[in-house]
Amino acid sequence: MSNLPPPGRAEVIDWLAGLGQRPPGAERLDSMELAWLVHQVEQRYGVELSDDQLAQMTTIDAAVAVLGEVLSAHA
Amino acid sequence: MAMDGSFVVPGTAAGGEWVDEVLLGGAAARVGLRLPEVVEVGKLRRLVRERQRELARSGLRAGGAAALRLPPSLAFVTYLLAVWRSGAQAILLDHRLTDYEVRRAIERLVPQVVVSPQRPVVAGLRTFVDVEADVASYSGHPASTSHAVVQLSSGSTGPSKVIGRTAQALVDEVLRYTKIDGVPLEGERVILLPSMVHVLGLVGGLLYGLHAGVELVPPARLTGDAIVQAIAAEQTPATVLGVPFHIGLLASVQEPPKLPQFKRMTTGGELVPAAVSQAFEEKYGVPLGNMYGMTEVGVIGTDLYGAHRPAIRPAPGIDVRVVDGELQIARPESPYLGLVDPARWSDGWLRTRDAGVVDAETGLVSIKGRLDSQVSVGGLKVDLTEVEYTLGTLRGVEAAVVVYDGAITAYLQLKERRETVRLEAELSQRLASYKRPRTLHVLDQLPRTTTGKLVRDLTVLRKAVP
Repeated sequence: MSNLPPPGRAEVIDWLAGLGQRPPGAERLDSMELAWLVHQVEQRYGVELSDDQLAQMTTIDAAVAVLGEVLSAHA
Repeated sequence: MAMDGSFVVPGTAAGGEWVDEVLLGGAAARVGLRLPEVVEVGKLRRLVRERQRELARSGLRAGGAAALRLPPSLAFVTYLLAVWRSGAQAILLDHRLTDYEVRRAIERLVPQVVVSPQRPVVAGLRTFVDVEADVASYSGHPASTSHAVVQLSSGSTGPSKVIGRTAQALVDEVLRYTKIDGVPLEGERVILLPSMVHVLGLVGGLLYGLHAGVELVPPARLTGDAIVQAIAAEQTPATVLGVPFHIGLLASVQEPPKLPQFKRMTTGGELVPAAVSQAFEEKYGVPLGNMYGMTEVGVIGTDLYGAHRPAIRPAPGIDVRVVDGELQIARPESPYLGLVDPARWSDGWLRTRDAGVVDAETGLVSIKGRLDSQVSVGGLKVDLTEVEYTLGTLRGVEAAVVVYDGAITAYLQLKERRETVRLEAELSQRLASYKRPRTLHVLDQLPRTTTGKLVRDLTVLRKAVP
């Protein structure tokens, strides 16, 4: 388990950039970006997210909120 | 099998013996799938026979059609084989299509039965799900053609949008795979990442695997760790079949274990950036293969050792040519149902709409990108004109321009005040999620040329955003 603090919005955007160029202003996450984010979380925090949590992560802000909650609870 | 090694494949109306001969042959104890619980071929045969009786009770007859609206699942595999074994046609509908898209497809293709999940599918990141299916009677019509499988390209209206393949074409493709050096062999495993509802996962994964005695292993989830775990779960050689996105997942796994059984990764779809392929090969030390194909034909060419990147060698039995910069594939018959657009197929040649170059000396083919408005989103083809057309049908939309700038992006001009969230909600009823624009920009006026045509230039469109 990692002691890293949950990622902020800037960090999530940075992770997404690792997948390739994003159009400016895009808020909504597509299924590949979601898979990529979950993969990043697993790699860095060793935490698996549930289907319900995944279903809530539809935008960058929503993802930051879910990750904040889940990762704080695991810290 | 006939003496010369070929298979005799009657038209679908005449029967589905090819399913047993080509796909479900061999010892009953042979492993078909690992989910991770083992599904032997003997169990598959029994399930397929049960599904056949169920389909027949709901009205499916030889020469009829069944629409399958199922996610990758044991239900999908067994209903599909049952439809074919009944001598009927399978219409494959991606489970992510909206009710609106499915209704339009069914009204057009008039199946005898429709097979769908009993409950909404919550797939999360699973590549293979557990679903209970419902079989509903729909019509008493025979299928409109003798194709064994019917698939929709993006958009189901207009000519050359519905693609059909005969049982013979599917068997030919399976046999084509057997002649390609570097494909997984009997007793080995395929870690299957693409959906088996689409051509790469369907023929390159499911059908080839069943034919060749290669075990099909969908990982528990679509994450790097889960893929590594799937490879490590057995000692037998494993090939990972995926799309370029999956290379990135594996390349960024931190400190993967030693995987001596990892044999190769093969991807279809768009080209892989050199930095990504290099990072992958350095981390795992296995070849990264590349495949090129399309729904109409299946696999067209491969480079399974990564020796010719980014070029591919045409698969055995595939004839290609380039006319006016466009790659064309020899196909004696049109793969399209209904009206055929001569810009897609004519005189025995399928026009790929991909720009290509064939090296006269080596015969290697290089793909140089699309010549039309089709884009690839995670390996799924999306026609931007369909997205644009659908946006135009929403109330209050005066005009729409849809472009691809790393994601699908829409620019709209409205004739009445509408909230963007409302427009997005209405669009979600009409277009599957992977086809929907990531961003909707509402402009007072869309940029136009002096003659009034909509401008599609990305720089101009971006500048027009307030």
